[in-house]
Amino acid sequence: MRRPLRPAAALIGLTMVLASCQGSASESPAASGEPGPSSTATGGVVHVGYKGSPDSLNPGRGLLTESYTIYELVYDTPISIDPEGNYVPELATDWEASEDGLTYTMHLVDDAVFHDGTPMTSEDVKFSLETYRDNDFPYESSYPDVFVDIEAPDPTTVVLHTEEPVGNFEYRMVFMYILPKHIWESEDAFTFDNAAMIGTGSFKLKDYETDEFVELEAVKDHWNISPNIDGVIFQTIDNDDARVAALTEGDVDMITEFQNTAIPTLQNTENVEVVTMEAIGGSLTDLFFNVIDPADCPGPSELVPDGGTCSGHEALRDIEVRQALAKATDKQQLIDVATLGTGTVGVSLVPPGLGDYFVGADAAFPFDVDAANEQLDAAGYEDTDGDGVRECRADQDCDDLTFRFNYPDDSTTGARESELLDAMWSAVGVKIEIQVLDQDALTSVCCPNFDYDVIMWGWGVDPDPQFLLGVTLCENIENGFSETGYCNAAYDELYAAQAQETDHATRVDQIHEMQEILLEDTPYIIPYYYPTINAYRSDTYTGWLTGPRGFGLDDISSLGFIRPAQ
Amino acid sequence: MSGRTRFLARRVGWALVTVWVVITFNFVLFRVLPGDPARSGARDPRLNPETQAALTERFGLDKPLFFNFGSGAPFDSQYFIYIGALMQGDLGTSYARPDDPVAEQLGDALVNTLWLVLPSQFLSILFGIILGLVAAWRRGKATDIGSLAFSLFMWSLPTFFLAIILLFIGARYFDLPIGGKGTIGAAFETPVEAAVDLFRHLLLPTLTLTLVLLGEYMLIMRSSVLDVFSEDYVLTAKAKGLSTYRIIRGHALKNAMLPMVTLIALNLAFTVSGAIQVESVYSWPGLGHLTVQAVSDRDYPVLQGAFLLLALAVVFANLVADIVYGYLDPRVTEA
Repeated sequence: MRRPLRPAAALIGLTMVLASCQGSASESPAASGEPGPSSTATGGVVHVGYKGSPDSLNPGRGLLTESYTIYELVYDTPISIDPEGNYVPELATDWEASEDGLTYTMHLVDDAVFHDGTPMTSEDVKFSLETYRDNDFPYESSYPDVFVDIEAPDPTTVVLHTEEPVGNFEYRMVFMYILPKHIWESEDAFTFDNAAMIGTGSFKLKDYETDEFVELEAVKDHWNISPNIDGVIFQTIDNDDARVAALTEGDVDMITEFQNTAIPTLQNTENVEVVTMEAIGGSLTDLFFNVIDPADCPGPSELVPDGGTCSGHEALRDIEVRQALAKATDKQQLIDVATLGTGTVGVSLVPPGLGDYFVGADAAFPFDVDAANEQLDAAGYEDTDGDGVRECRADQDCDDLTFRFNYPDDSTTGARESELLDAMWSAVGVKIEIQVLDQDALTSVCCPNFDYDVIMWGWGVDPDPQFLLGVTLCENIENGFSETGYCNAAYDELYAAQAQETDHATRVDQIHEMQEILLEDTPYIIPYYYPTINAYRSDTYTGWLTGPRGFGLDDISSLGFIRPAQ
Repeated sequence: MSGRTRFLARRVGWALVTVWVVITFNFVLFRVLPGDPARSGARDPRLNPETQAALTERFGLDKPLFFNFGSGAPFDSQYFIYIGALMQGDLGTSYARPDDPVAEQLGDALVNTLWLVLPSQFLSILFGIILGLVAAWRRGKATDIGSLAFSLFMWSLPTFFLAIILLFIGARYFDLPIGGKGTIGAAFETPVEAAVDLFRHLLLPTLTLTLVLLGEYMLIMRSSVLDVFSEDYVLTAKAKGLSTYRIIRGHALKNAMLPMVTLIALNLAFTVSGAIQVESVYSWPGLGHLTVQAVSDRDYPVLQGAFLLLALAVVFANLVADIVYGYLDPRVTEA
């Protein structure tokens, strides 16, 4: 997931918004829940019920998932990702890196055309990358920032120069929505509303009403994927129950979000199918500890005018306590009770949706209350006064193992989860004082203030591990990106190495090693990952890509290939 | 100046002062709230510092609050810029949707809300008064008990619950749309078709809101009429042999309407804030919906505008109520 969806991640099943490669659905009907595209009918307008509405039609400015869903359909990117997580050609037919890893050359298709009829050339790609790089866009600017010099020697070639080798070149291209230079060059990209939204994608914008709907029309003679349907309407239906009713009553053909409690209802409704997909990237819930060394406490800055508070519980700076808490956490119970069984057991900050980079399901400490108790006993934390809570050691400046515990108020599952954790951890003599905080308040106690003990929050994950693994770098303590205050020189070295490693296998090893360091040191416990859950009507359209992995049914990988049911 | 003109001038004057106080309070309120709009405005706590600085500057949050003593221009401050912009109808730029000015967002939403609220208010007032009158007249009879029970039930029913139940029934058995204010992408041949479509979309939310509001009107009306019925002049009227209709019309109704006017004025003002729950369930893009969205987005300029609009509506509705009072009860203008 592209945006670090801290607050929202705990609330909604995020939809992956990447475009897939051409033909992914038609080539693999077996991956679909349908009996294959037996229908040959075309036409029809698909109605999608979703919760929000795009916050901006300008791809640089968008923050919400709903915006990126639309960008993916209206724009093309040089490189794309297929449902298996492989990088595949889109506007770029192929690409290569120079020996020294400092020059990247992309060859482009020659038949892509913008919705207004203008051919797309390397000038547009160069212009788009420079626009994203040179503006202070919240997310889009971070992808091309390493390309110091971009050239367009001929209409189908783009050459990018970097100062250091780049370990994730393809990933840096998958969100680069190619904009028409002839329209954007006369605008201030940072404030442009982009109301006409001209792109090269398989759908073009027809009508848009904030908070009501987005209407897209299929591009029938598209250079790459010409949809079988005539168009898509994304309709905002705020209320969760109303959205479910819209699907069961046939007002819409597909919904992208609903509460887990609605799953049985939907499964029991005739002609309605619920699809659970492991997202490429995906989202996770995390528990993290304030482990900042008082010596590293941030000084005064714009974020914390008086400097960090760094009031973390001293016992949590002890690795033995953190490891014991990891062992005392019954992740499966959290999944069963809080998410009604829809999640998968969490391991590290890199979810299984990232393929090779996932460190493996067995890498985390297994759930073992006895081992946790033994570890705390051995480390010298004993319940001397018999109140059920272990006391701190004599050499520590704290009373007992009572920790402040915060979670965001927009989490629908936070209350149940924190109660379960309270019970699990009290089995090893640890007490938590639960306080739910508003998102702003949580940010202000979190980082870089470090005025908390334990926080439960969540992340949306990018298709490349680099972004999220940066959260535990020493250098990010001051700027508030580090939530834990964790600092480990060996880890930082590995991070720097993988960023420049162009050999995939070597980079995978480095990223595994980094995760193992984090699992051992336990600044984070990852209770679970959760999937993308959509539901659709099987009696209106067929051919949805419903494989075990994917981007959600509102992606081009489905919308580009579905047909009306007969 | 006659007593009535003086009364009017005084009322309007006070209303204007109230509006100024509200504007200032509204301004201060949103500036003392915890949380940095530049950080939360983008909803990403970890926005990079350059982007935050750019946002802060763009929204003018780097200027002093009231007086800019440091510079040569003491009025180059957030407050005076805000007042100045307000005079020109500029309510600022939305943090969450910077492409749509706040005034435009509020204007669109207000129109949508009025489509929903005005028919609902009209219907609920009409039926509330009729039911209240009938119940009071037939006090203790089956009609009274039945309508009383109905009103109490509707009044105490949670709005969202009634809304979602009606939505299920309407969508399943009457093929009514699930939400929104029109069929998206539909091309209508004639204005009649478009009107029918709008009517179908309005039906459920209007019904919900009418039922919810009806109970209160009925109960107040009933008790108010009962009060009046116990007055000596009604007894006198009865003794004079006037018909029931003439007693109600000539004596009871006007006096019983006094508390109703207050209630109607207040309710009208508050319903401008949108029937929040009804709008949420039916995805009706009105003011209530916009306000809820702005709260979750921490979109302070939109909230500030919505609060201002609500405050203006309350002040205006009270002014109108005062004036109507003057006609219904001439003693008020003498005071």
